[in-house]
Amino acid sequence: MLLRRAGKGDEDAFALLYRRHQGALYRFALRMSGNAWAAEEIVQDVFMTLMRDPKKYDAARGTLGGFLYGVTRNRVLKHLERLPREVSLEEKTENGAAAGIVLQDASTPAVQAEKRERVELVWAAVLDLPAEFREAVVLCELEERSYEEAAQMIGCPIGTIRSRLHRGRALLMARLEMLRDAPRRAGLTRKAGAAK
Amino acid sequence: MTCDEFEAIGLDAERDASLTETQRAEAAAHVASCTRCSALRVSWEAARIELRSLAVATAGMNAPARVEMRLRQQFGTQYNTPRVRRTAVVAAWALAAAAVVVGAVSWVNWRNSQRANLTDKSNTPVANPGTAEQNAAPDSPTLMADNELSDFTFLPGVLPTDTDDATILEVRIQRGALGALGLPVNEDRAAEWIQVDLLVGNDGLPQAVRLPNEMRE
Repeated sequence: MLLRRAGKGDEDAFALLYRRHQGALYRFALRMSGNAWAAEEIVQDVFMTLMRDPKKYDAARGTLGGFLYGVTRNRVLKHLERLPREVSLEEKTENGAAAGIVLQDASTPAVQAEKRERVELVWAAVLDLPAEFREAVVLCELEERSYEEAAQMIGCPIGTIRSRLHRGRALLMARLEMLRDAPRRAGLTRKAGAAK
Repeated sequence: MTCDEFEAIGLDAERDASLTETQRAEAAAHVASCTRCSALRVSWEAARIELRSLAVATAGMNAPARVEMRLRQQFGTQYNTPRVRRTAVVAAWALAAAAVVVGAVSWVNWRNSQRANLTDKSNTPVANPGTAEQNAAPDSPTLMADNELSDFTFLPGVLPTDTDDATILEVRIQRGALGALGLPVNEDRAAEWIQVDLLVGNDGLPQAVRLPNEMRE
């Protein structure tokens, strides 16, 4: 209904449609890319596509949300493919997490810093996963979608999702262990250096 | 259930709706008996808590407002520009059509006036006042002239066709002067002043005269 109105030039209908879907799409793009600028570009691109050719969406084939998610997913995967050739505008922290993204928290600065550090660590571990495993982890663990939903969104059998999650989890746990140990090791090295 | 099977399907057995109750029970039994898988599960639960904290930290994130602004701008460009262009085209066509209609009406009017002029020239209202009366419309200016001319009495020797470009002059003369124009005059009232209308031709000579009503009667 909103899309039909938007297709006839109703700007408010289009704005409403955008507000309804942008959050989920932006978060998915951000969690997958770890880059706020890229996520912003992807979301804008997705809605530009919808604006230019609303007939691309076929209601008989699924919901508009699913369609938009599919377009976003394609854009994210393209972005990840291009990534080695592109230089990110956002500098990365020692942990590998994107420093340009500000995680908001209402607690004290010290607690905030500790939490942020931990979250950045986990995010860096997620971003280190290969795209297909990362997608399964983002959908099932961060967005808390069921295996069926994730399978439907990606367009693959549930078994594939299970398998990707299994491998993604294994890699994630190994990476998290490594990242947790890294500061500890660095601390020990510094102490040893100081003792000498 | 083996350790490999547990890793593949048992680690998240509670959430996986595609598993049967039997598979879930087997997974629970395995993790209770296997220390390695139990440690794996603890490790995964810890990782999961950290993933939850990442999910919470990024849950409230939305695309910046500038994205909506840019999209609205693009929307306006896409939908309003063709609409304005369409309106301009329609207005141009309407103007062109109006110009054609005005031109056609003007041309028809001009043609009618030309035709009327030709008709005026071809008709001789003085010579055939009766015919003119029959042909002309009741409220046309030609008819008024014809009516005026019909009251005139032509002077002797004047042909009615000579009065085409004649002018009517209102003059005050003595009744005796009518004799000079060849009209009969009552000698008793010759000195009396009367008001008459003279039809004067291009040559300045009187061609017809209209007497006051009481004299005609």
